[in-house]
Amino acid sequence: MGAGRINASRGPADGVDRAIPARRRLAAAWWTLALGLIVPLILLATWLAAALLGQLPEQILPPPWAVFDTLSDIIGDGTLASSIATSLQRVAEGFAAGALAGLVLGTAIGLSKALRETVDPLFLAMSQVPTLGWMPIVILLVGIDEGLKIIVIGWSAFIPVVLNTSQGVRDVPQAYVELGRVLSFSPWSRLTTIILPSAVPSIFTGLREGLANSWQTLVAVELIASFEGLGYLMAYGRQLFQLELVLAAMIAVGLIGLLIHGLLTLAETHLQRWRPEMPR
Amino acid sequence: MSLITFAGRGPLSRGTRRSALPLGTIGRHLRPFALPAALLAAWELAAHAGFVDARFLPPLEAVLARAVAEIGHGDLAANLLASLQRDLIGFAFGGTAGIFLGLVIGFSPLAQRLLGPLLLVHRQIALFAWVPLISMWFGGGETGKIVFIALAAFQPSLINTWQGVAAIPRSYRELAAVLTLGWLDFARLIAIPGALPQIFTGLHSALIYAWTTTVGAELLLNIAPGLGGRMNEGQHLFHMDLLLLCILLLGGVGVAFNIIAGGLERRLLRWRTP
Amino acid sequence: MKFAQIAALLGGLLAAAPASAETLLRIGYPGTGIDDRPYAYGDYIAAAHVQQLVEAEFKDLPDVKVTWTFFRGAGPALNESLAAGQLDFAAGLGDLPSIVGRSRGLQTRYLASAGSHDALYLAVPPDSPLKTVEDLKGHKVAQFRGTNLQIATDRVLEKHGLTEKDIRFVSLDSNAATAALVSGNVEASFGGSEYLDLAKRGAVKIIYSTKTDDPTLGRNSGLLVTAAFEQAHPDYTARVVHAFVKAARFASDEANRQAVFELWSKAGLPVESFEADFKDERLAHRVSPLVDDFIIARYKDQAERAKAYGLIKKDVDIDGWFETKYLKQALSDLKLETFWPSFDAKGRKVSEGEVETTKAATN
Repeated sequence: MGAGRINASRGPADGVDRAIPARRRLAAAWWTLALGLIVPLILLATWLAAALLGQLPEQILPPPWAVFDTLSDIIGDGTLASSIATSLQRVAEGFAAGALAGLVLGTAIGLSKALRETVDPLFLAMSQVPTLGWMPIVILLVGIDEGLKIIVIGWSAFIPVVLNTSQGVRDVPQAYVELGRVLSFSPWSRLTTIILPSAVPSIFTGLREGLANSWQTLVAVELIASFEGLGYLMAYGRQLFQLELVLAAMIAVGLIGLLIHGLLTLAETHLQRWRPEMPR
Repeated sequence: MSLITFAGRGPLSRGTRRSALPLGTIGRHLRPFALPAALLAAWELAAHAGFVDARFLPPLEAVLARAVAEIGHGDLAANLLASLQRDLIGFAFGGTAGIFLGLVIGFSPLAQRLLGPLLLVHRQIALFAWVPLISMWFGGGETGKIVFIALAAFQPSLINTWQGVAAIPRSYRELAAVLTLGWLDFARLIAIPGALPQIFTGLHSALIYAWTTTVGAELLLNIAPGLGGRMNEGQHLFHMDLLLLCILLLGGVGVAFNIIAGGLERRLLRWRTP
Repeated sequence: MKFAQIAALLGGLLAAAPASAETLLRIGYPGTGIDDRPYAYGDYIAAAHVQQLVEAEFKDLPDVKVTWTFFRGAGPALNESLAAGQLDFAAGLGDLPSIVGRSRGLQTRYLASAGSHDALYLAVPPDSPLKTVEDLKGHKVAQFRGTNLQIATDRVLEKHGLTEKDIRFVSLDSNAATAALVSGNVEASFGGSEYLDLAKRGAVKIIYSTKTDDPTLGRNSGLLVTAAFEQAHPDYTARVVHAFVKAARFASDEANRQAVFELWSKAGLPVESFEADFKDERLAHRVSPLVDDFIIARYKDQAERAKAYGLIKKDVDIDGWFETKYLKQALSDLKLETFWPSFDAKGRKVSEGEVETTKAATN
């Protein structure tokens, strides 16, 4: 939900109201930015002041400069870069595996009622089990290597992708499919030309949720058992009571999350552009 | 959340395509059980035929026997209750905090401008990234676990409440102005009832998230009575039957929560015309 | 109000401390028994716990409630509890975590030693090709980070020309490490006496032990109290030390050797593993509460090395940490001033101890 869109009725897709002159819009944008920064800046200032006045016991919150030092340390010696690389690679591999499998199963379920009735109950039941709940079993079966991470992360992406893809495929208006049949499209062409494109918004929602899940699961999995990565940095910091390391790693996690969120929003807006408004 | 809307959705007739299986109506009713039954049969077979290491795949009777033993004189029930207790307390704190803040932000554009970006960034920090910090501030015992679970419940509750209030059509606000309703009356008579469905969706989501996080909290923080602790034990001692039992319980509680929350939502919102 | 204060207030509310004039005396032990059962082993703290000596000490004060908490997360988890104000005594806290805590501003007082010369073992799967510490280079090794196992391991590595960066360490608690080792998820694991029973059963192979190496490579642990509790209740602190010294007396007497092993076996390890752990070693070698020059030197040394290995960021003042007046009082009350031998900084004996002449019971 973007800020300032409360009372927007069906405006233009990109939320820009061209009735207001550009200069006023720019001023409004700056003002929004400024307001949004007030509270974080106040918190930061309080933190700084408390640390400078010696009011902040180290074990609650280290001084900001200590966190900054640690950050520059781990950036300097490459630890941060390699940790981020490892974590991102894990997310990419897990997400790719889960999303691909999810797309295939989701489409199949969406298309075939028989399959849906067979698979649904079991799938739904399994998806009620928290992803982390599977970890002890998976650890027992495959150990604590990369395989564990790919499987668990993949599973967390798999569920929303299947659910949303199958929903999207089922929601394709019958009229379109009928039209395809009337025009003698082969089942494969019907799938690729009519059904899948129509289901894109739902599929995208599923992928988006899957990616968000993957990132969340990655951190949890790395905290539990790993040799490297951002979660490992945090676990290490926790074991050695180095809050600065934990905070530095958290900042990295937050920034990457923000980046992913931004990219997905961008992609979503882009996708919305070519789609005309669907009749509901 | 797509998971919730999935159950029971979709038009009844999907065209003239006939079912590929020739079993007719009886087959249709049996279908939901076909796959689980087949899998269970395969499992029994594999366990007994010795294809797989017995440690990894105990026969079904073993799991059942374990269940009976645990219910009889084990403390699995107590563990389950301990987990549920943490979960519900955390959910209560986090859910109410989320509703409260969501209402504030939904009603006040200023609050939204001030807190919106901060909350957006907070959303991007993976939930489990907070574990080390929370365990350092609150310790790894009950307090820490409950705070963490509350944090998990806070997020969906906040977002949905906020959206619910934000979605109140402008015409309603204008109507309130026309009827010279005070701010409080507007909130009480129009806005909150209007946002209620979304608020409930948020609480439903929060309930599920809280349960999901409870397991994680127990695995990552101090050992204490709870399902997470039993799962740890099962993993370390290679007790697959215990692990499977715990999985069943985890899923069972999840299903129960979904049913209860769904039922409550439907009853409490009966007065609304869709 | 600062966020931290709000957080602490919330934490206090949630913790729901019992009302009225009850004083809680919260003891924490960094470790658990096999499959996480709440028992300790290997030191006199365990003896005090099983024999309920601390509780007995406060029998005449019904308002004082003694609680024991066993931390699966060992030293680091105990530190977190200390930081959150949830513990009063840390009994048996390892050298590294207590040093780390102090370097992070945790206000504690070191009352007595809870053990020294604790052995470190390196275990591998029985069919492993790894034979020496040097072989570990580049392999996946389990180690409980933040505990005194870590600093002991780092020193062993240093002695064999390696650093932490040469090894792919994963942090796992004792039970998880054992499971990982047995199932082949890690190629080696550094740990304590819990591996001896496994080695005996052939589930693992022990390829290195500090018992056969430099004696300063052993691990230490201590009995600590929070400065807050000590200032508020110096009399209770004295009683607690009194109880623990009694336990130490019992657990270091060779005549009680078998009884002590059996007491420790409540943690789930068989008596044989303690026999193997203490082979050719007198109980008193490890079980002694004295804070003599050797202990002080050990801790100073560990602090320096911790800084050198990057485990702590700044120098730690060790001298101002020790508060031995309660120990001295307890020793004099129990007439144990000359019971234990004391050593100088280099490990040479400075004074004799009666415990060295006690004999194991003949079976």
